[in-house]
Amino acid sequence: MISFRNVSKVYNGNVKALDRVSLQIDKGEFVFIVGASGAGKSTLIKMMYREETPSSGQVFVLGKDLAKMRKREVPYLRRRIGVVFQDFKLLKDKNAWENVAFALEVTGTPRREVNRRVTQVLNMVGLLDRRNAFPNELSGGEQQRIAIARALVRNPDILLADEPSGNLDPKTAMEIFAILERVNLYGTTVVVATHAHDIVDNLRKRVVELREGAIVRDERRGAYHY
Amino acid sequence: MRLLGYIFSQTFRSIWRNKLSSFLSSLTTGFALFLLGISFLVSINLGFMYEMAETQMEIQAYMDKEATQTQLASAVSQIREIPGVAEVKFVSKEDALEELKEMFKDKASVLDSLEEDNPLPPSVRIKTAGAEHIPAVVEALQAFDIVDDVMYQEEVSRRLVQIGKAVQYLSLGGMLVVGLVSVMVIANSIRLTIDARRQEIGIMKLVGATDGFVMTPFLFEGVLLGFLGSAIGTGFAVWVYNWVAMKIAEFIPFMPIVGLDPDALWQMFGIMALTGVMVGLAGSAFSVRRHLRV
Repeated sequence: MISFRNVSKVYNGNVKALDRVSLQIDKGEFVFIVGASGAGKSTLIKMMYREETPSSGQVFVLGKDLAKMRKREVPYLRRRIGVVFQDFKLLKDKNAWENVAFALEVTGTPRREVNRRVTQVLNMVGLLDRRNAFPNELSGGEQQRIAIARALVRNPDILLADEPSGNLDPKTAMEIFAILERVNLYGTTVVVATHAHDIVDNLRKRVVELREGAIVRDERRGAYHY
Repeated sequence: MRLLGYIFSQTFRSIWRNKLSSFLSSLTTGFALFLLGISFLVSINLGFMYEMAETQMEIQAYMDKEATQTQLASAVSQIREIPGVAEVKFVSKEDALEELKEMFKDKASVLDSLEEDNPLPPSVRIKTAGAEHIPAVVEALQAFDIVDDVMYQEEVSRRLVQIGKAVQYLSLGGMLVVGLVSVMVIANSIRLTIDARRQEIGIMKLVGATDGFVMTPFLFEGVLLGFLGSAIGTGFAVWVYNWVAMKIAEFIPFMPIVGLDPDALWQMFGIMALTGVMVGLAGSAFSVRRHLRV
């Protein structure tokens, strides 16, 4: 599903963000990427939806070699990948429903299909009754749930999350991870970069630790620390 | 269909959001196209005047009234041989009278009396290959014994041609400058729209919108601004033209001014709209390339 082969990424000629990373993530896995700030977690995630390309090495996602992928093919890759961020990235002038529907509208999905899918995912994140609220009327946890709904509305093969609970209190963070776990149960591959020790320790999923751009640990049922 | 609806609603929303800059872009484009319109109208009139001038560029050689047919025929063939002569038309005494009758249609009966004793001389009308040949041809004609008199209006026609060219170059230069400015103004207006929607564009690309889908509303916005500009420009140009034509008719009644019929108006608007749309497309394409980085 996702495969990194000896991937390095160098910014501005000398800042090394990733250092010969090789990583295999299979269909249906739930993987935590952990490590200190600047360890390369975000770069790793960005390469998976081709926001970044490697300086050397190969990245395969959904059977495609992303380094060789043409620019105009990228949108079609992204339609199969949902992405969630620390800062939610919701549009302030659209309400919850519209924010989620937006992801379908920009690819010309018929209205009937949009209605069906949006209802379904809002229901899944438990916010169907808040569908008319605007982002500034929603709590941080609710906003992130909307963002997750948007990432899921296309029924992606992969869900990527970069610090999804970074701006949330521990209890709300727990709710968010519960949703991610449920998404994974339905078969979607989930990759989460996070700092949330407790949750990583609790969930006992695969843990990949990065230090200065290199993988220093990859455990099947790991914890945040050794 | 759904995409089209989306693009339209996006376009109108962003034009509305940047009312002032949109309005200014259209106005600037309108001004550029106003110059285009005026120069179009002026060139219609110049073309009309030039046609009239061309007939005046004819040299008329009046022949001896007593000349015989054979003498005239040989003179005509000799005139044909003069270097620079393009066209030679012989007008007999009878032809000349017919023309005169044609000119004074309603008083033709007065001229009937002339049929008995036609006082008009036969003449030869000569067109040259260009105004520059006129002096030499005139000189050669004057050397013929059979030629009584030579008439031509070289100066008038040459001036007219010169003025026409100057006006066209001048308006072309002005149009280019203002056209370039309006491309830039539209580009700036589109940049504002792009800036206002940068976050939205980022999310669109994140969820898999194609570059074409992201760009189209901006290109469409530029086209629409250019089209609005062409409407402003046409309206203003027609208004100014009619006003000037009215004033000219008032003060210089003999000066020929081409009236604007609906056909000419549509033709002009067509040219203006096409130019406006292209200017708008150029401006927005420039901005999209520069600031969207899709």
